Amino acid sequence: MSTMNSSMEMDQLKKPFSISDIIWTVAVIAGAIYAWKSFGQLMDVYEIGILAGASVGLIAFGKIWPSIRTLSYAVAALSLLALWSYSHHGNQISANEQAFFLKFLISSQSAFMWMSALFVMATVAYFLALFSKSNYVGKVASAIAWSGVAFGLVGMMVRWRESYLINPDYGHIPVSSLYEVFILFAVLTTLIYLYYEQKLRTRSMGGFVMLIVSAAIGFLLWYTFDREAHVIQPLVPALKSYWMKIHVPANFIGYGSFSIAAMVGLAYLVTEKFQTKNPDSQFVKSMPSLESMDDLMYKTVALGFAFFTIATVLGAMWAAEAWGGYWSWDPKETWALIVWLNYAAWLHIRMSKGWRGRPMAMWALVGLLVTTFAFLGVNMFLSGLHSYGEL
Amino acid sequence: MADLSNTSSPLPKRKPGIFIQFLGSMNLAVTLLVMLAIASVIGTVLQQNQVFQDYIIKFGPFWTQVFNELGLFHVYGAAWFILVLLFLLISTSVCVSRNGPTFLKEIRQYSEKLSLNAYKHQPHSVTYTPESFETETAQSILKQQGYKTKIHQREDGVTVAGLKGRWNRLGYIFTHISIIVICIGALFDSNLLLKYRELTGTLAPETRTVGLDKIPQKSWLGPENFSFRGSVNIAEGQKSDVLFLPYERGFLVQKLPFTIDVKDFRIEYYDTGMPKSFESDIVLSAPDLDKPIEKTIAVNHPLFYKNYAIYQSSFGDGGSLMKLKVHPLLSPTNNPLTLNTAVDKVEPLKTPMGTYRLELNDFKMFNIVPASEEEKAKTGKKMHNNGPTIIFKVRNDQGKAWEYENYMQPSLQDGRWFFMTGMRTSQAEPFRYLFIPADQQRQKTRFFNFLALINNKNKSQEVLKEAFPQEKGVDDRTYQLQMRLLNQLMVLFRQKGFNGISLFVQKNVPAKDQPKVKDYYMGQTSLALQTLYLNVLKQEKVKELDNISDFNKQWFEDAITVINSLPNYGPPMYFELDSFKQIESTGLQITKSPGKDIVYFGSALLIIGVFFLFYVRQKRIWLAYSEKEGTLTIAGKDNKELPEVAKEFQQIVQAVQSKMQVKS
Ligand code: HEM
Repeated sequence: MSTMNSSMEMDQLKKPFSISDIIWTVAVIAGAIYAWKSFGQLMDVYEIGILAGASVGLIAFGKIWPSIRTLSYAVAALSLLALWSYSHHGNQISANEQAFFLKFLISSQSAFMWMSALFVMATVAYFLALFSKSNYVGKVASAIAWSGVAFGLVGMMVRWRESYLINPDYGHIPVSSLYEVFILFAVLTTLIYLYYEQKLRTRSMGGFVMLIVSAAIGFLLWYTFDREAHVIQPLVPALKSYWMKIHVPANFIGYGSFSIAAMVGLAYLVTEKFQTKNPDSQFVKSMPSLESMDDLMYKTVALGFAFFTIATVLGAMWAAEAWGGYWSWDPKETWALIVWLNYAAWLHIRMSKGWRGRPMAMWALVGLLVTTFAFLGVNMFLSGLHSYGEL
Repeated sequence: MADLSNTSSPLPKRKPGIFIQFLGSMNLAVTLLVMLAIASVIGTVLQQNQVFQDYIIKFGPFWTQVFNELGLFHVYGAAWFILVLLFLLISTSVCVSRNGPTFLKEIRQYSEKLSLNAYKHQPHSVTYTPESFETETAQSILKQQGYKTKIHQREDGVTVAGLKGRWNRLGYIFTHISIIVICIGALFDSNLLLKYRELTGTLAPETRTVGLDKIPQKSWLGPENFSFRGSVNIAEGQKSDVLFLPYERGFLVQKLPFTIDVKDFRIEYYDTGMPKSFESDIVLSAPDLDKPIEKTIAVNHPLFYKNYAIYQSSFGDGGSLMKLKVHPLLSPTNNPLTLNTAVDKVEPLKTPMGTYRLELNDFKMFNIVPASEEEKAKTGKKMHNNGPTIIFKVRNDQGKAWEYENYMQPSLQDGRWFFMTGMRTSQAEPFRYLFIPADQQRQKTRFFNFLALINNKNKSQEVLKEAFPQEKGVDDRTYQLQMRLLNQLMVLFRQKGFNGISLFVQKNVPAKDQPKVKDYYMGQTSLALQTLYLNVLKQEKVKELDNISDFNKQWFEDAITVINSLPNYGPPMYFELDSFKQIESTGLQITKSPGKDIVYFGSALLIIGVFFLFYVRQKRIWLAYSEKEGTLTIAGKDNKELPEVAKEFQQIVQAVQSKMQVKS
């Protein structure tokens, strides 16, 4: 795999299994077994399959990208603390108003508020680091972004549990409403960005990428306070399926990657503008080279395309099971196809015409508009079978 | 595209014709991709397959015509859309058949036999003089980096060729063949064959709503139809062996090779009032089945039988039985007519006002609405159930229809109980509601008694006379006139409401007297209505008639509001739902989709292919040693020029040089 070929990970590969690898593997397996023991009776055979697959995937991913391990340990510890705290209070949902840890830190709502604050702070810090050229501030920015991801994930784990506490009937993985997927979007986008940040050893694009995450947070806060969208609602019958657990996350890895591609495109355009004005400007010097931004754009579009392909196929399979047809030209389906075709064209042009840089950056930005419409616009303006997350 | 000219000897290749070149060009591919995307945008922005009339209202006749000619109202079935798809299919096929063989060859190719000079011209190349060169060492360095190697002895030395990520090329082949496979699968499931049969005149969709026995043979499809997707509603306790396929502006009837009995249909609700699950107990029997299949299907849990799939897709009323009371709104007595009927039935109604048809469209057991803030605080429930409703139309003999929605139970509004009845004359409008006030027994009895009394000329005359006896000093003529006026006002009020009285004054009274007369008439009307109301209360044996309770005062106002609006309520009848027996029906979707597995296979190919394309990089390295000159040329080439390629090449050079050091 290309990701394994890069210098940083090549050393990794050659190493035999280290102690920390073994701990990681054991920890993931133990976690999976714990989940299966505690909640196995709620799962069907597919869900057990998903649990097993996710565990294997996580073990492998932890090997490719060790930072994910630290994150997972932190998320697991905090989530367990929250679960413990709930059970300590008789598994009453009202505990989120009474128990100290829950109320101020890790009930799902508190965790999401922390996440929101951290992501916005990270955006500011990344830009501060860029303009002050301080490596230290850059490190702080990354640390804040990581913490935001951790809180987001903890919030999702706890919300999953809370949905069962409110009413066992309501229980579901929190990727079912527009509110919930916005959180997923913010978390995944940041996480994918952090991966490339480590790989490319540059923090100068962080501010740009976190802009879109902050925009999502802005929406999320409005949606929470104006529309009370954070209230946990039960699932409509069509959504009660194990497919949701794989279809939605795959989709959002796609959306997240496309968003990063667009924001890197934005960074590219800004840097290019400065460069034509003054090639020696401080800003240009602190940004990565245009070529490497172009390359990152390609890599994120490719990643997004791959996952979006999976998500669309999974969606079709789910549609076949829920509505009796794998393709119905429902608006959401159709817009997924539009997004997909758009990036297929992007990839082809890049290859056949060898277009690089500016036109592709602008196209990536247009791609973000198309993607946003598929994600939000369809829910707002078009009705169809997919009309779940309405504004 | 990969340029192989400097890694392999040029293959003898026929130059394809310009047309084939065009078909296989990426320009065409991208154009087609973008065209499909734009067509899809149109298909979602412009609502598809609507009633034609709606389009005319929206776009006007001219543009409706234009859009229709362009097929924009059913984009995904339009000829040009199919043509674009077909071109994509051809283009991709041409592309694969032209590039595929070369790419396949590349999988096995190490290009180890090139000349030293050719290696020096690779994108990455370094030549230096090592202290020594060992083939095995060179091989092991490359193997360590994950390359497969091949050795070639040249006349002037030796080449160790390394290749890694050869499956990348399969990625191209998989992805592009998958597009072809998916299109073919989709074609299997399309209605192309039906279109053909329609064109040749052996098939015609039915556009009327008629019984099965009246549908002509030309609209039926038998088992020869090898792919379909349609739906059927089956009431509990009923069975069906046909399916309705929507087709253009009508439908076709598909005969099924099995029968489905519906034993039961259930909806479960969450405590919020939202539906939690829809389930049907069905029994599938077919001649070749020894034992019928019994299964409960639900959303996301279909029944698969052979190559058919049966889905829970909707639900509705299956002909609920009901007893109605028809209240004639102009009758002088409260004597409702009883009618035993059922949903989906049509009842003729002969009335003194003309003949009507009552069309019973639907029955709803629950009408769940968000609870009011007070109720939420009191009961903690977020939703409120307003109880059963019937939805029906009354149609006169000219075909004009009024649609109604009547609630069976009273609901609480501002602390009072009302029976709601909604009316509209067009599907596009929302219902407008009348709120019939309930009496103290939460019934409509008082309302219809009151109404009947107002309608009853003789009786109301009597009541009014009794209430306003002829006073001394008033002559007979004046008294008669006064009584007649009251009577006329009642008739006017019943015919057109208060507004009718105003209109009457405007028409018949000189302008300067109008305000005065109008005030007088209105006052007299109120007086008469109050008097009649008091009589109703007296009949009910309500005590303390001099000091009327707040409830009774309020009731009067609410009743007058309703009666005032009755002239706009359509044909003068009120349909009261007295009792019912609910029979539900389940909406099943049944598909036969032979292309599904093909599409899934194509999708799997696509996903695998995409990962090969993006995440397996094809890399080549050559270590070419020249014995004559004592030099080693290290050359490298990737199928894609990414920034990391140079870095990685440099690493290999370092690794080689640390083993086979530069001669000082
Ligand atoms: C719906 C139709 C198509 C889709 C979804 C599609 C998808 C793709 C994708 C995702 C790639 C990889 C791009 C990359 O590595 O960055 C690719 C590469 C390519 N496509 Fe297509 N493609 C389609 C139709 C076509 C057609 C009609 C042609 C013929 C001209 C074509 C020719 C190529 C070629 C030559 C490559 C480059 C392979 C390589 O050198 O790695 N594609 N295609």
